[in-house]
This record gives sequence, C-alpha cells and structure tokens, in this order.
Amino acid sequence: MKKLLFLLLGLALVCGSALAAELDYFQVYKPKGGMTADDIMQIEYFVKYTRFAHDVTMLGKAYFIDRSGSVREKETARMRITLGRKSDDIAYKDIVMFTSPQVKGLATLTWTYMNPSRQTDSWLWVPSLKKIRKISAANGDDSFMGSDFSVEDIITRKFEDETYALLREENFKGYTCEFDNKVYYKDTPCYVIECKPKRMPWYYSKRVLWVDKDSGGGIYEEKYDPKGRMFMTLFKRFEIYKVNGKDYATQTLLEGKDLRSGHRTVIINDNIKYDQGLSEQSFTERALIQSRW
Amino acid sequence: MRFLTILAVLLLVSPVYAAENLTLSGSLKNETSVRLDNMNADLTKEKNIFELAGEYKINGDELVLFAKAKYWYDAAYDARDKLDIAQHYAGHIQRTDWLRDLYLDYTRDNWFLRLGKQQVVWGQADGIAVLDRVNPVDLSEYWLPDLQDIRIPLWMANINYSPKLNSNLQVLIIPDFEQSTSAPVGAPFCTYAYIRYDNWKKAMLAAHGSVNENLYFPGKQFENSTFGLQWSDRIGDWNYTLNYLNGFYTSARNLTISLGYPNYKVDRAFKRYRLYGGSFNKSFSNPGPMQGITLKGDVALYNDEPTYIGDPVLGSSKRINRWNNVFWLIGAERYFFTKYLFSVQYAQYILEHAKEKSNYAELTSPAYRYPLNAYTYGYADQVENIFSIKLSTQFMNDRLKPELSWSFTDDDQGKVSPKVNYEIKDNLVLTVGAHYFYGSLYDSNGQYRDQNQLYTNLKYSF
Repeated sequence: MKKLLFLLLGLALVCGSALAAELDYFQVYKPKGGMTADDIMQIEYFVKYTRFAHDVTMLGKAYFIDRSGSVREKETARMRITLGRKSDDIAYKDIVMFTSPQVKGLATLTWTYMNPSRQTDSWLWVPSLKKIRKISAANGDDSFMGSDFSVEDIITRKFEDETYALLREENFKGYTCEFDNKVYYKDTPCYVIECKPKRMPWYYSKRVLWVDKDSGGGIYEEKYDPKGRMFMTLFKRFEIYKVNGKDYATQTLLEGKDLRSGHRTVIINDNIKYDQGLSEQSFTERALIQSRW
Repeated sequence: MRFLTILAVLLLVSPVYAAENLTLSGSLKNETSVRLDNMNADLTKEKNIFELAGEYKINGDELVLFAKAKYWYDAAYDARDKLDIAQHYAGHIQRTDWLRDLYLDYTRDNWFLRLGKQQVVWGQADGIAVLDRVNPVDLSEYWLPDLQDIRIPLWMANINYSPKLNSNLQVLIIPDFEQSTSAPVGAPFCTYAYIRYDNWKKAMLAAHGSVNENLYFPGKQFENSTFGLQWSDRIGDWNYTLNYLNGFYTSARNLTISLGYPNYKVDRAFKRYRLYGGSFNKSFSNPGPMQGITLKGDVALYNDEPTYIGDPVLGSSKRINRWNNVFWLIGAERYFFTKYLFSVQYAQYILEHAKEKSNYAELTSPAYRYPLNAYTYGYADQVENIFSIKLSTQFMNDRLKPELSWSFTDDDQGKVSPKVNYEIKDNLVLTVGAHYFYGSLYDSNGQYRDQNQLYTNLKYSF
C-alpha cells in the first residue's frame, strides 16, 4: 500500500517538488547562453515541476516491465494547483487517484512546501478502510512504488540537494525508447551537467544530465553508483503546450531503466489541461473524503 | 433475487452509458481459511464474493448517484454441518447486507451532501474503534476482514459545510438503526460470552425450565435517530477533529430476570449513550530528530456506556451499569532503513470504576460486582493497555508485499497476523496469511486461541 502511495505521489509530482531558489512562479524560463550550471539547473527544476502553470489536470498510465517482458499497468487521474504562497509556505498541492480496477479509488493529497528542507505532507484515502490516513514521507533512496525511479527522483530531490558542474555543450545522440521503439531528441542541442549529491555516502555518486537548450527540460540522465558504475538511465520526453500564448514544456513520456535488474518503468501522461481555474477547496481532506470508491 | 435483478439491469445499461456518465467496477474474490488444531485442519471458510459498484454522474461532479452491491456465499457452513440452522444462516447473505452503498452526492461551493445508505468513518486509529462508532459492526469474523466490510452501512443524511479552507463541519442525521452482529454458536468466531450464555440456556431447558428472550429495538420515531457532529480544522501543521455522537449503543445488552429456577426471562435492549471526543495527526516535515515521523491520536468519552456487571468466574452477567468510560490512543509511524515502514499504536480503555460500589451492590454477592468483558463475560480490567505494531515492506518491484502485524494487551493475550500479497497480474492478487491467537479464554483475543487460521484470498478486479 505504501509503495502504491509513492507511485501516486510520483506520478503527480513528476511535475513537482523542489523549488528553484530565485525564479518567480507562473513565468516561463528558458536557458540562455552564458548561464552557469546552477542557473541552468534552476530552470530545469522549474520546468520539471511545471511551476509556470497555475493548475494542471492529467491522466496517467504507468507500465512496469520486467526482464522477461511481463507488463503490469496502473492508471491514474491527477490534478495539481500551484500556489507559491509565502504566508503558509505552500508551494503546491496535488491530488492523485488510481483508476485501475485493482486499486481503484486509492488517492493521495500532497502538500509541498517552499522551504527546501521541509518534507511534504501527505494524506492517503484508503478504500478498504474508507478513511483518510496521514502518512509519513518515504526515504529518498526508496524505490518509488516498485518503479525504477527512486522516491527522490520523482518527489523529493531539490535544487539545493546537489552541486552542479557544466561538463560540455553538445548535440544529444538520441534516445531509442524501448516502449514505442521511436528515437527521440536526435541531434538536439543540450547542456551536459554533472550533478553530485551533497549527502555522502548516498546511493548514487553522481548524475549526468542532458538539458534541452530550447525547453530547459532534463531529457536524459545517467546515474552512477558509489563505485562509479552506471546503474540507471532515465529518459523524459517534453512536449510544448500552448497556453494563453505561453509555451509550457510538459513531460509526456518517461522511461526509467534499471541496468542491474533489467526492469523498466514507463509513465505516459495524457489529456493534459492547464490553467482551468481549479479551486484550492479541491485539495483538502474533505475532497478525499468525498471519494466514492 | 433483488440483487440479481439490479445486477442484470446494471450490466444491461452499462454499455450504453459507460463512455459517458456511468462507471462500473467490481471484483470476484475467493476467501478460504482453515483452522489449525494440533495436527488437524478444519475448513472454516470457503467464501466466494461478487461485488459490483456503479457511479452515475447525473450533473457532472455536482450531482452523482453511487451504488455498490455485494453477494457472497460461504460453502464451508454447508460442508461442516447442514443441519445446524444457525451456521447455515451465517453462510448466506442476510437481510439487506447485499446493498453496501446507495447514495446521492451533491457538491456545490462549500457544501457537500451525501444522502443515502453509507459508512462514515471517524478517527485516526488503525483497527481500533475509538471514534469509529457511527456505523454498527458485523463481527461474524471478529475484526479480521477489511473494516469497510465489517461496518454495517446505514441510511443517513451526511451534511458537510466548509466555512473556510481546510475546515469542515459535518452533521449526521441517522434515522436508520441496525444492531451490531456476531457469529452464531458453532461458528469459528462466536464469542465466548455467547457460548457461555448458550450453555446456560441449554442447561435451563434441560432442567425443564424456560428462557424467554425478548429483543427490544429502538422505536421508529425521529427522536430515536442518531445524531452526529464533527468539526475538522488545522492549527499550524496539526490537523484535528472534535466529535460528538448521540445514539443507541449498537450491541444489545442482556438483562436476565429470574422467574423462579429454572425459568428465566432475558430482555435485550439497546441503550442510548453519547460520545464526546477528538482526534489529531501531524507529520514532522521540518528538519530535526522527529523528521519523517507521523503522530496521530484519538480520544473518546463514552457517556452512559452500558457496561456489564456480574461474576466473571461463572461468566454470569447480573446487571448493566451506565458508566462514563474513556478510550484514548496514540500512534506513530516512520520509514526505517530503505522501504521498511514501522507503525506502532498504544491505547488505553479506562472504565469509570474497577468494581461496582452502589448500594444495590452491597446487597448482592461480592462476586457479582465486577465489570465484564462483553466478548467473553470474563473480568474486565479497569485500565486495559492495548498495543499494536505493524511492519511492512515490498520486494520484486512491489509485486510481493509482506506485512506483519501484532496486537496485544498487558494481560499476555494477543494476535499475530503475518501476510503476503502477491500481484499475479494487473487485476489478480493473491494473499496468503495466518492469524495466531494467544491468551486466556476470558480475554478478547485469547478466546480464539483454538481458532488459529491459515488463509488465502484470491481477488480479481474489473
């Protein structure tokens, strides 16, 4: 159940947790020539967590594919409101509900704070109990709901958690997605950033991240263990959504591969709608209680 | 038949509306368990359950109709003893049990109304009903099934108003009344109190006496409704609720009147009581030694709670006293190492008195003055200390989920329940587990010390 929860959180927070330190909410930022690695990563986090939008709703599908090719599938519906409100430190609030039959109705409400050292607050609607449970934050290195992402990959990693170095600028060689056999981002101009965790020892020693110069999205990363061996790759496809004349870079496909186990996780976001004027009243405990499943 | 008719209608209309306003979901589940007694294993459950739920959006998300129906049949009762009417009865759907939910939701601005048959859950505790007292309970399998299957839904008006963000005032008006139920004599989880009563009754009948039993339900008038209030809000990072419930105690209390040995009259009636309580929860999210810990708690004062008084040695109830008893609980949970969730709860159930001291008591035998455990008619401690511990984790990319829970009291009695969930396919989950009971026959868990269970559940969802 806990792992399921963290998948929910992650699916919701594929768009969100940490906060770029200096950037204003509800603006669209893109990398520019001459920026430092820190500047680029602030934008990367901003894009990753869609801090440019007031609210968003989407449907999601997650596929868990093991080495033998066996596939498990989970479906979600989710919505988020971005607040960036200093008075109570709230950055944004998410609600994610599973719609797949086996776990239908399981839902989480998550509040993420602006203070980078503060953990998220989460409530879980448990259909088998018909009640809300306040739940604890998971460890950052925990596998995310059985997926190939860690909890911090999806939910908790913040700009302040790592140090950054610009390794080079290059055209990305392209990524062949095993899920749909398409090649993405071939010859796309990128910044290559080395990200090292401040916390040591930690389950990874560094990430090497390719950031799209056009959108500011982190499209591909390689993660290395403490012995310097690459153990995971993570691909993200961004699509541009035109909203009120602004370009919103949106994650529509993620593929994470664990090179040790051969297990893959694919997340597809669909039916994405921005800035519909969602009410904050929809992100309260009472909203969870209204669940019928 | 009614269930099958509704099911047929739902299935017929589903293709028409599925894409638009109607959503259907359901499950088929098999629950099998065997009782382990030394080297023998008796089949105690062979239950097949079909469940179907439908949500129909009449006007978007503003007005929604929801219904859930369940049908089950437990073949173990037939296999064990077809001639035992009580057992056979327990193996089938009873009365209106098939209808689990039927309500209309209306949501607009700060208002949310849920009108119809439903469950309402109060409190933070897991598996311990401190504030979770709005609905009666079906304890035919003790507290082992999921709580949503244990609670008996009631027809009610559930009215909610949110005067400000993150707060909610809930008003419950419940004209419906259902009594809590328990397993019949001969069933695996029949209470020891019921067995003792049944033995006494058989003894009286064997002595050519009579036991005239009368069950008095609350009248159908509106003033006999149950009324509830809950206020929910936040102070800083703390979530809290204040709760009030005024209704009938859902377990009938027996009053035995001697008509001259061996003839007796047993009046069973439901007593009105009041619950005053509250709950809280908080996750420590800021850096520090408490970061990552979630705290929660419930407290309730049961005003005028009907409490059995009698002789715990003979298992004989003599009177019902109306005491002001207190139940409180505090719990904490946290992840340790990677992926291990540890959860602990501590609760105290405190009776108003250790022993009856009324003038009436002075006129009776000293042995007749003790509060009784309603499950067993054994001695009830004035202060019962209750603990529960749960450890859970996952393997194989979340396909395999082991969990161990242990609940116990300071009377050296308790229940240990390991289980493992394995996701065979997306919609097919196998659960294998066990329940091990230990303690005195006179204690809540100990009464089932000969009912240790091994079980499997196989659930297909659609």
